[in-house]
Amino acid sequence: MATRIGVDIGGTFTDLVYHDEATGATVEAKVPTVPQAPDDGVIAAVRDHVPRAIIESAEFFLHGTTVGLNALLERRGATVGLLTTRGFRDVLEIRRGDRAAMYNLFWKQPEPLVPRRRRREVEERMLFDGRVLRPLDGSALPEIARDFATEGVDSIAVCLINGYANPAHELEIERLLRQLGFQGTISLSHRISGEYREYERTCTTVIDAFVRARMAYYLRRLDERLRELGFRGTSLIARSGGGSMSFAEAEQRPFETIMSGPVGGAEGASELARFLELPALITADVGGTSFDTALILDGQPQVLYEGQVDHMPVQSPWVDVRSIGAGGGSIAYVDGGGLMRVGPRSAGAVPGPAAYGKGGTEPTLTDAAAALGMLGAGQLASGIVLDVERATQALQPVAAAIGHEVEAAAVGVLHIATAAMANAIREVSVEQGLDPREFALLPFGGAGPMMACLLAQELGMRRIIVPCLAGNFSAWGLLGADMVHAAARTTLLPLSQASLAVVERTAQQLFENIAARGAGAHAAENTVRLDMRYRGQEHWISVPVSFSSVSGCASRLEDSVTAIAAAFENEYRRTFGGKLDEPAEIVAVRAGARVRLPQRRYRAAARPPSARSSQSCSAYSFHLRRRVPFKLIAREAISGPLAGPAIVTESTTTLYLDASWRLEPLATGELSIQRVEDAC
Amino acid sequence: MLNTDPVIHRIDRRERPHGAHTDPITAEVIRHALNSAANQMKRALIRTAFSPIIYEVLDFAVAIYDRDIRLLAQAPSLPLFMGTLNFCVEAAVVNIGGSEELKPGDVLMYNWPYGTGSHAQDLAVIMPVFLADRTLVGYTVIKGHWLDIGAKDPYCTDTVDVFQEGTKYPGVRIYREGKLNDDIHRMIIANSRMPKAVLGDLDAQITGCRVGAQGLLAVIGRFGLQAYEDAVELIFDHGERVVRGYFEKIPDGRYLARGEMDNNGVDVEPVPFEIAIEVAGSEVRIDFSYSPPEQGGPVNCPLPSTIAASRVAITMLAGFGEPPHEGLFRPISVVTRPGTMFHPQPPAPCFLYGWPALQAIEVIYRAIAAAVPEAVPASSGGCICSVVWWGRRAATGEPWADGAPHPTGQGAWNGGDGGTMLHIAESATRFTPIEVWEARNPWMIEKLALAQDSAGPGEYRGGPGIDLQFRMLEPTNITTVCERTRNRPWGLAGGGEARANGARVRLPDGRVVEVPKTTRFVVPKDGVLELTTGGGGGYGPPSRRSREAVERDLREGYISREFARRHYPHALD
Repeated sequence: MATRIGVDIGGTFTDLVYHDEATGATVEAKVPTVPQAPDDGVIAAVRDHVPRAIIESAEFFLHGTTVGLNALLERRGATVGLLTTRGFRDVLEIRRGDRAAMYNLFWKQPEPLVPRRRRREVEERMLFDGRVLRPLDGSALPEIARDFATEGVDSIAVCLINGYANPAHELEIERLLRQLGFQGTISLSHRISGEYREYERTCTTVIDAFVRARMAYYLRRLDERLRELGFRGTSLIARSGGGSMSFAEAEQRPFETIMSGPVGGAEGASELARFLELPALITADVGGTSFDTALILDGQPQVLYEGQVDHMPVQSPWVDVRSIGAGGGSIAYVDGGGLMRVGPRSAGAVPGPAAYGKGGTEPTLTDAAAALGMLGAGQLASGIVLDVERATQALQPVAAAIGHEVEAAAVGVLHIATAAMANAIREVSVEQGLDPREFALLPFGGAGPMMACLLAQELGMRRIIVPCLAGNFSAWGLLGADMVHAAARTTLLPLSQASLAVVERTAQQLFENIAARGAGAHAAENTVRLDMRYRGQEHWISVPVSFSSVSGCASRLEDSVTAIAAAFENEYRRTFGGKLDEPAEIVAVRAGARVRLPQRRYRAAARPPSARSSQSCSAYSFHLRRRVPFKLIAREAISGPLAGPAIVTESTTTLYLDASWRLEPLATGELSIQRVEDAC
Repeated sequence: MLNTDPVIHRIDRRERPHGAHTDPITAEVIRHALNSAANQMKRALIRTAFSPIIYEVLDFAVAIYDRDIRLLAQAPSLPLFMGTLNFCVEAAVVNIGGSEELKPGDVLMYNWPYGTGSHAQDLAVIMPVFLADRTLVGYTVIKGHWLDIGAKDPYCTDTVDVFQEGTKYPGVRIYREGKLNDDIHRMIIANSRMPKAVLGDLDAQITGCRVGAQGLLAVIGRFGLQAYEDAVELIFDHGERVVRGYFEKIPDGRYLARGEMDNNGVDVEPVPFEIAIEVAGSEVRIDFSYSPPEQGGPVNCPLPSTIAASRVAITMLAGFGEPPHEGLFRPISVVTRPGTMFHPQPPAPCFLYGWPALQAIEVIYRAIAAAVPEAVPASSGGCICSVVWWGRRAATGEPWADGAPHPTGQGAWNGGDGGTMLHIAESATRFTPIEVWEARNPWMIEKLALAQDSAGPGEYRGGPGIDLQFRMLEPTNITTVCERTRNRPWGLAGGGEARANGARVRLPDGRVVEVPKTTRFVVPKDGVLELTTGGGGGYGPPSRRSREAVERDLREGYISREFARRHYPHALD
């Protein structure tokens, strides 16, 4: 049993959810994000919305933040110096040679985080198998250290070629730098990632060095301020790869939290999928500026082992959440050639949609929805009241440009946004060889429930689940983020009995590394996965293997060569639809340790015994293609099945239930929505 | 002597009358859906392909055509393949006796180079798409690079006719009404050094085409044939307006530029050529009719790739980053003379067709620069500096092979320095990490670095070229293809030239052999292959480069003090 508080910082809003274990009550709030001082927003949300007694009794504070991400995007970080092997200081700038915008003749790679003069070379060379070809000659280091000092370097990244295979030279450089009196932070590539691909590893090491001080400062300050408010529990931050880690560990491995923002939603969706026993779920998180979607299969999000920020790779586990620039704030316009477009430019939090009455004049997705009556009477989160008149005015020029009425233009804005979002969903599911029609849709975020029926219709999906706390679902999801640690090492081996001994030893070392991060305090569930491929291939797939870890004793690999080969073949067949005759090989060993947080369930507060609402409003039905009366009902007043057309309001989001859809509240609080077969 | 008449190629506007069954909103939704269907084809292909050349190098093109063989959508892959596939669909359909001979369930294979525009290794799989009532509504097509199709070497720079370049499939049914054609299947196996990989990739191409066909049928099913067809016209008109709007701003006139191939792969003489651009109102004509006669070595560029190079060059400039479709190509016409390097006739060799196409893109920009230098970048390194390696591992005798394109400096433009990356014609491709390479192949990389003083100077400077050195640990065969090793990338508007491309082998005995284009050269153990790729040309007079920018280039080591003294004396004390 544990009371906990979750705060998720988004581009537009900072969301808060707390869960009081004693009463089972869950309370949510949304406050505007403070971009210049995100911790101010967090502290304001906690101070103003969480009773002191809850703060004092809370065992966990769980956090999703874009602080590290923004530091990267805005290039506000440490002055980093990079040390690498002679001949390779430009790896960071040459990258892999591709262009992010392939049809853009003028595209240029982003400025590297470390300018060339601060990328310095040392004499040494490891081979791919860890043998030393040239021993380290540290004689240049004193001069380099002096130059770095002159340059104001306060963080040094070290990434040597093949350093993943033998860390001796990186460790020796660290020792020499300390001997020379360097007092800043040092990031060694083999501690960041044990995997090969020098550009990706160098880039990740440099990102770590770049954001570390800033993240540490932010996390310490936030923790102190929480403690001033009376918090006495453990502070955790979401990992890009799923789960959470302690603030203390995040200070040491900040690169693991770069993409913590969208993880809460994927965590919450996974938990819900397990609880409702839904084998296949697609999330549709529609916020102010972006649309995020993720596949949840068998109660698990899909995890990649490399992510990307601002065209820079991050070699670290990464929950596969795809994002496109389409949200409530996306601006509609007519382009030079006469087609109507929506986004990716967004009105953001300021000035926001025209309907917010905060100075926005360009028509957004929210304005189109408001003009069509899809948001009901228009009481939104944070006390915003929609001004339908302003929304209509803003749409006027766009409608005129394509020679349509405002209503038709507004319908068009919704259609185009739906098409873009549906494409993102199709592509993530098709990539896995799956058909989206077999999935249930899980809409959340401020504008997710508004788009749900349109998206499901577009994709031919028959079932929608609207979770509890849909508007703040990412923050709710954070509350269930177990503590997770991960480490991996590239270990190229044929699949053979002799190799398994190496795998076992490697896995043990990886678990020792994890324990050395101070992660050993709790009982963890350990897992081992092997990255495997057919010989001659470059891409690999990851296969779980059985590994027993008895505390105090040496842990053991339980699976035989045959069993591992069979598991690999099954996974390969599932992913690619066939198998090859080549022998299989092992590429890397991945160790994971998960410390489960105590289970918690959402219990809706006791419903006020209100009379069945008989309010209604006029709104556009996409199914009937005209305006019709929509029932208007508060979510907490729903006690039984309800057929569309209806608009369901809750404090942080609005559900648009079109005609032809029917909802039924589940005993556990979620709304289950099914398509009604057309009568005609 | 060559005295064929020039031929004008332009899109035959088989435009349908615009119905009232659509509007700018439905058109935008359908445009999304068609691009999404093409992207799904691409993902299905990547997910199921056997060869890294497909799933890593992205050496393929994926597109959906309507029943009049007009490009509806193409997924981002190899830009050089942009808008080439209509030619092979047309040729394959003609070869089997016309579209009325096509039946649901038919799948065609086509790789006749003068119809695909590519070398024979690039094989197109074409699937006609039918409604349930057997109405033909379009085609899905995937052209992919097959690892080996039985040419004289796995990769060649010295072929003298097309028959040395691999097996040809001139529009044959691999599936007939849904049934595998076993005769063709056995032909494929018998004509490849790597039949397993090739068959795997063929299956992946067919899977991808199927996914695309479903996507196209879903669009038509949802909106109805009439609304879909009207929307397509609207999409094409829209794209056409965008490109026309661009050329209206360029002053009318005829602009000429010169390029040169180092040689034709067989003979040693350089092969100069000229391209003229004519702008008249919103129309642009690209005139290749002054090209030299078709060559005795494989640098001939078949017509579809000549047209593709023109389309790539123009739409990259005027298409504003949109995914391409037929409408974008309408304002472009291309003039060629049959029997020339840019319109070769069978059996002229064309294994290296891509290299003249790359040069043509650069020369087209050079011609446009004569009118509006601020609209285009200066020359890039102008090549992908490809190397193919193969051999047998010393310890096990096992065969191995690898191949890669490499980055060069990109040209500066009015407003920015150039970067360092792959040529725009291969802009989505990535080269392999050193650590992966060393774990896989018998070599050690000694250097991967930006080359000092390799970029063209200017108010904006080009991107630097790279130096890359491979020390072979076992005897290795190499085929190399580097163009522009004799001519330096040009600058624009007073900007300076950059370093040219180079490739050489340093033998253990100290001899150095230049290998810009070579087939099956044996590098002995401890020989070093050294690539020195070109820089990008500069833009604007170097004397206008700001003091701060020069100081920064010096401080960061992109240029030496001597280079600064020579080109930027104004910025030094």
